[in-house]
Amino acid sequence: MSETPRPELVVDGYPGKPRPRWIELITSADHKDLGRVLICGSLGFLFIALVEMILMRLQLAIPENSFLTPVAFNRLLSDYGATAVFLFAIPLALGLFYYVAPLQVGARGTALPRLGQIGVALWAAGAAVLYSGFLFTPSEAGVNPLAPLSELAFLSNNGVDAWATATGLATLGFVFIAIDLLTTLRNMRAPGMAWRRVPIFSWAASVCCWLLLTIGPVLLAALTMLMIDRNYDGIFFADGSGGAPLLWQHLSWIFFSGAYMLVLIFAFGAIAEIVTAFSAKPLFNRGVTMGSLAAIAVLGTLAWMQNMMTAPIGIGWMYFAMLMSLALIVPFGLIVFNLIATMSGGALRMRAPLLFALGAISAISIGLGAEIEQSMVAAAWQLKNTTDATAATHFALVGGAVFGGFAALHYWFPKMTGRTMGESLARISFWTMAVGIVLAFVPLFFAGADEGQVIDAYKFFNHTGVNAYNLIATIGTFVLAAGIVMTIVNAILSRENGPEAGHDPWHGETLEWFTLSPPEPHNFDVLPDVRSARPMRDIREAIAHRSSRDERPARESQPVA
Amino acid sequence: MLWIGFAAAAIVVVAVNVALIAAVRRNRAARGTQPRQVSGGRRVQFRVGAVLTVFAAAIFILSIVFTDRARETPATGSAGLAAAHAAPLKIKTTGQQWLWRYDYPNGAFSYYKLVVPVDTAVDLELLSTDVVHTWDVPDLAGKRDAVPGKINDVVFRADEEGDFRGQSATLSGQAYAAMRTEVEVVSPQAYEAFVKSQLAEIETAQDRVVGLIENGEVP
Repeated sequence: MSETPRPELVVDGYPGKPRPRWIELITSADHKDLGRVLICGSLGFLFIALVEMILMRLQLAIPENSFLTPVAFNRLLSDYGATAVFLFAIPLALGLFYYVAPLQVGARGTALPRLGQIGVALWAAGAAVLYSGFLFTPSEAGVNPLAPLSELAFLSNNGVDAWATATGLATLGFVFIAIDLLTTLRNMRAPGMAWRRVPIFSWAASVCCWLLLTIGPVLLAALTMLMIDRNYDGIFFADGSGGAPLLWQHLSWIFFSGAYMLVLIFAFGAIAEIVTAFSAKPLFNRGVTMGSLAAIAVLGTLAWMQNMMTAPIGIGWMYFAMLMSLALIVPFGLIVFNLIATMSGGALRMRAPLLFALGAISAISIGLGAEIEQSMVAAAWQLKNTTDATAATHFALVGGAVFGGFAALHYWFPKMTGRTMGESLARISFWTMAVGIVLAFVPLFFAGADEGQVIDAYKFFNHTGVNAYNLIATIGTFVLAAGIVMTIVNAILSRENGPEAGHDPWHGETLEWFTLSPPEPHNFDVLPDVRSARPMRDIREAIAHRSSRDERPARESQPVA
Repeated sequence: MLWIGFAAAAIVVVAVNVALIAAVRRNRAARGTQPRQVSGGRRVQFRVGAVLTVFAAAIFILSIVFTDRARETPATGSAGLAAAHAAPLKIKTTGQQWLWRYDYPNGAFSYYKLVVPVDTAVDLELLSTDVVHTWDVPDLAGKRDAVPGKINDVVFRADEEGDFRGQSATLSGQAYAAMRTEVEVVSPQAYEAFVKSQLAEIETAQDRVVGLIENGEVP
């Protein structure tokens, strides 16, 4: 490639001695490097979250176990929640968005690269704070540290402060990345790419950025109040002095409900892109699908009080939360219908990305099906805070972030590395994960709905009818973890040794497949005029048409760039 | 109520997964047909949207009907406590790390175990003195949170005598898992006797403490 003159390149290589690759990576403000940092980092934290989950499940394998002390269990629980949400699910989604979306819309970089770089650095700082365990004791207040338990009077060591600092730094980073990405998507699209032609994954990125700009500051406000309460005798969440313990629940659940939706919007964006490419068909009713993704963000966030059905709030508010939750059936249903309609009449190539994408739809359908029951007021009075809720959330979020995230990872891995991930290991990993998720979480539905086993408890009692359920769930967690680790290993091995992918291994229809794999720092030398939602298909057709007319040999796999 | 939710969930799961499997089986590339380049269909989308809206609305309405039924204050039956015929028997229920305290109308109180008369409407006024707890006895009533500074109500009527158990359902610290809820449902006579004996015991204990203080044995 270096023979080709590149007058538009300002810098062609660095003068002097080349710096080591890792220094380049952590000092780069390029969206592809930052995206890779987020993706690799979040996969590492996925592994840590799995270890924490396994330790907790080992404690819950048999009744009245004494493998972990209550304090150790609560610390693992708190760190598991923060890791899974703030260090794995959201950054994996953002990392893939950040890498792929600018390429998809034909941007040569992001609009505010330094802001994105600061964002990733803040996220890394948050992760470092959460895991510098030797400097402080981890939080014991649970996944969502409900006030007043999170107040100084009840947890006086600095674990909760560390939790709040870590999640706050990470959230601030997400907001910065969202600002950068949103500005890019709004201002730097290729000529001709109107919003109706924006690839569905980039549209999902834009929706998620708006969502983060809405819910991120809410959590940051709540965390600030918590820190003032804990360190400066504040009264925001203290009862009896003008504060309100329920205020924390409102603010934090707005964030967590929005984050739940963010993961699902990301997953469906990726799934839609993959299903479209692997069916060799356009996305069915593209406009409705785009609108549905936006509707999920709005309705899902407005449904935050679904998590407060047993709190002392008015019944009207519970009905409002139920209405918003049940209204989600419509956009989710339309998206799933449109995906299936996209597949029907298509020519499906059953490769690993599609397999994971279909698995994600299946797992999310189980999770959200169970969430219907969780959102019906009188049923919620029975089911809330039982392991039924754990299972519902995990089916939806493992389905979205792990199955959906892995689908996206398999799909765009060739773009990032120039190599595809090993197909047979991917298949073994997928089926192991599929068996694992069913074994790990279906028993918890029964334990929660039939026997009322509560969440977050470090032990359960003998003769409460849940022994077998919990043992199966523990075994299932090991199976699920084994499947997940296989994909992480597959990614590490395939980075150097995977089969060569070429620049467009899946015959994708969006612009990221127009450039090299991996792309050059400036992404594109030239850009086509975008005339439809499927620019790559237009280009292929134009080339085929021209070569048949001129009887010139078709171009090699060398892209136009 | 639970079965409606379960049915709705089952419909969603079965519909999505059957459609997925069918779509995959019927549209493999191995069939060798050319993919049809269809990009949309307005009518089918409206129909699907309408079906989904009706499905969601039906669950919403059914849910409100059943929830309103569950919220109705039950009437005290003929076998119940006579004093509770006009209004439910109010018992102040206070959660604290990691036990429950029950204050009965006549000044008696008990820890850990709640004793209520059978066939009687009972209104537990939940409050917490420290962190959020959840009062839950699945076989008697739905769960409710006890939050500091804001009263929450659990209203129920136990139709048969016996022991009922539950567990707090909100993480409240180290001994959260051991925060059990116990309810003993007894006959109205036994309830009256229990309350009286509690009161007597409390008075005896208080007299003893007062005596100790007067004798100077306790500062």
